[in-house]
Amino acid sequence: MLRAMSQPSDVVFDPAVPYPGLTALRAALTGRDWAGARAVLDSVTPADRTSLIRTCGDEKDLEDFLRYVLRGDPRDGAAAALLGFHLIDLGWEIRTAAWAKDVTEEQWAGFREHLRKAELVLIDASAYNPGDPAVWTSRLLSARGLSLGIAEIRRRYDRLSTAVPHHLPGQMELSYSLEPKWSGTWEELHTFARDAALAALPGSPHGLLVSEAFFSRYGAADDDAERARLLHDPRLRADLDQAAQHSVLHPRFNREYGWVRAASSYAALFSLQGDQQKAARMFELLGNLATVDPWGHSEEDAAPKIRQARAWAFGGAR
Amino acid sequence: MITQLEVSGIPVVLSPTTGPMHAGLVFRVGRVDEPLARRGITHLLEHLALHAFGVADYHYNGATGDEFTYFHMQGAETDIVAFLNGVSAALTDLPMHRLTTEKEILRTEASTRGDNPTEGLALWRHGARDYGVGTYPEWGLSGITPDDLRAWVARYFTAENAALWIAGPAVPAGLDLRLPHGERRPAPAPSSALPVRPAYFPGPPKRVAWDAVVDRSVSAGVFTGVLKRALFRSLRQEGGLSYAVQTDYSPRSDGRAVITAIADALPEKQGAVLGGFIDVLAALRLGLVEQADVTAEVNHRVEELTHAEEDGSRLPGLAFNLLIGRPVQSAEELVAELRAVTRDEVAAVAAAAFADGLLMTPGRNTADWAGYAQAPQDSASIVEGTKYASLEDPEVSFVAGDRGVSLVQEDSAATVFYDECSVLLVWPDGARRFIGHDGMVVHFEPTLFPNGHAVVPAIDARVPRGLWAAMPARDLERIPKPSPAAVPAAGASGGGGGKAWPIVVLVALAPVLLFFGGLGLIMGAVAFEDDIDVATEVTISVVFLTFALLAGWGVVWAIRRLRRG
Repeated sequence: MLRAMSQPSDVVFDPAVPYPGLTALRAALTGRDWAGARAVLDSVTPADRTSLIRTCGDEKDLEDFLRYVLRGDPRDGAAAALLGFHLIDLGWEIRTAAWAKDVTEEQWAGFREHLRKAELVLIDASAYNPGDPAVWTSRLLSARGLSLGIAEIRRRYDRLSTAVPHHLPGQMELSYSLEPKWSGTWEELHTFARDAALAALPGSPHGLLVSEAFFSRYGAADDDAERARLLHDPRLRADLDQAAQHSVLHPRFNREYGWVRAASSYAALFSLQGDQQKAARMFELLGNLATVDPWGHSEEDAAPKIRQARAWAFGGAR
Repeated sequence: MITQLEVSGIPVVLSPTTGPMHAGLVFRVGRVDEPLARRGITHLLEHLALHAFGVADYHYNGATGDEFTYFHMQGAETDIVAFLNGVSAALTDLPMHRLTTEKEILRTEASTRGDNPTEGLALWRHGARDYGVGTYPEWGLSGITPDDLRAWVARYFTAENAALWIAGPAVPAGLDLRLPHGERRPAPAPSSALPVRPAYFPGPPKRVAWDAVVDRSVSAGVFTGVLKRALFRSLRQEGGLSYAVQTDYSPRSDGRAVITAIADALPEKQGAVLGGFIDVLAALRLGLVEQADVTAEVNHRVEELTHAEEDGSRLPGLAFNLLIGRPVQSAEELVAELRAVTRDEVAAVAAAAFADGLLMTPGRNTADWAGYAQAPQDSASIVEGTKYASLEDPEVSFVAGDRGVSLVQEDSAATVFYDECSVLLVWPDGARRFIGHDGMVVHFEPTLFPNGHAVVPAIDARVPRGLWAAMPARDLERIPKPSPAAVPAAGASGGGGGKAWPIVVLVALAPVLLFFGGLGLIMGAVAFEDDIDVATEVTISVVFLTFALLAGWGVVWAIRRLRRG
């Protein structure tokens, strides 16, 4: 029985399952078929497009291919954004996810050099395509890595939201930058997340911004007392509730880009709050789909926690 | 309709005007011609030439620019004649009795003048020569002699190096410009202190500025206006990041032109103004020029030109052109050229301007991430010579060598070679500041280095007197002193320090302290015990105790020094 429960199929992290465009895009990129890649990207919503591009930034050895594509058409925003994300990913590989103090001088130099290369591609791309949300989203990421400061990050976000309002992938990037470890404060992060979530259409997955902001702060708390205080803070709680009602708990909750992560995030939140009924509703939405965030650091770490929470939500013991 | 004439051997541009008559006399000389050690000489001459008109209620003025210096006046014909004749007469016979006073007036003028927000650009682009000289204070004033002034007039303020403009019906009767004869003096070739472009340097906070040198052309002028429109839209209208956005197009006499742009920034918005500025330049470089902007700018310039033609304000520029051998174009020709400017031509200017660009970033913001190389902040080499460690900061040392001087800090150095020195600022208290052709500064405060005052004559001897500029005496409190806490560390590395000296002092002075101290006390005691020779005994006691006090001070110094060492 225990063995059967551990089958990977009951917790599916693969984003290609909820977002089938991903498999097609990866296949096209592997085959160096840019027309095929564009066919996938041009057929989805802006949020899906940005998300697909971002996710595929980690495909191997894309640089030469994409530079070739851009030489043919310098105005191809999708190619530029993908090259931008790809170079940024390469930079992060060099930097590693270690604490800043543990990153060597050479690692910093390599990191910065790759982000600089990305930024040069993206500066041109945003000039050619001032309305391309994927380009602006990648420029939000490069601005953070290059430490360009919150004013420049806000400017880029404003350009993005002028072009495409409520662009969730870009809003997630701004959220990261508003964390105290980058350029902001918990207060700024929370305010932005709440306002952005409530400004989105009812039933959209943007409630995710509020729950992710909460988990960032919760995860960074010093001790149990602080975590308990955050969990019971009436204002945070009210904002989380309001955002959930406007998003994952809304009768017209929309399975657009980000919905799995939103439902997964609120499943974790409701489990933490001990709200069995709402947690169950999230797990019903999700079926076997899951995301690692905010459950754990890795799939191995997250999967048992998800199973346990799901079993409890569906009437089992904690 | 513009007419070209000649008066007393001086070329003239003349044009009727709708407004009152005005006229001007311009010479091809300015700040770019001044050696840094004589910085201010042209301005001083301009003041001396105008001195005679000081009390008259005329609409006159003089101006010293980078490449041109001119005297102009608006008013009745007879007044204009008197003014121009008077200026010429004053130039041939300068009122030298006014020299000291006019120097003082210039110092006052300099102290009340605000900073020019874009002058850092010329400094970083050209260094401390020719087109960078204007960014420095008028350091040459104090040393300028009557002979210097006469030589400057003989070289530059001559009939052959002058042109005249007249906005009025005809050359006024009685005009008699008796200028000395000489020759036409072209402006010097611009120096470069920027090995790589596009480049950036960190400037003062609260503003972003940029400049570029391109070929002088009508389309470059249009580009300057297009740039302003694009910056205004992006930084003010869309972003609300800047309040003031300005651009400028300044033709240069070598057939090139300097395009400058500046945007102000709130302290908390500096990074965003920089980012927006960079994006605007990038879009224009890529040829993303709005046809509507080109059309609007062309129309704007045609309108300006029409007004300028009517009121004669084109004339000064035309007189400048005469002096640099450029053709005098009619307004109709210029309008036709403007109307013919295409979007592609403007885009080509944008690409050339971007490639030559120098960006002044606000505060500590960098621009390397956007493809701008950091302009050289340090010297590439350190001179070989004697090294003196600072008494204040052990990380700082001064090197005096046969070829130049260096100021060395942890990982950076500033070097000025004697044969590439633009000026040596000389303070009466011994402080010296070398400024190299590239703008590098080596400042030497003799009080902050061991035997600093002994070094001064040696370095002075290396720099020709002609490069010296005397600085006014400083208040005592403005002369730096090494902070006492830092003395031992510096002493240890500066030679002459270490423990030997304090030990010698201790060995020598401790017995002196005991001997004079003991005797002084005994004499003092004796003086109060008897009545004989009290005055003598007290005197001896005081003298001995004074010796003891001095010795005691030496002993305390030596002990402290040994403890710290």
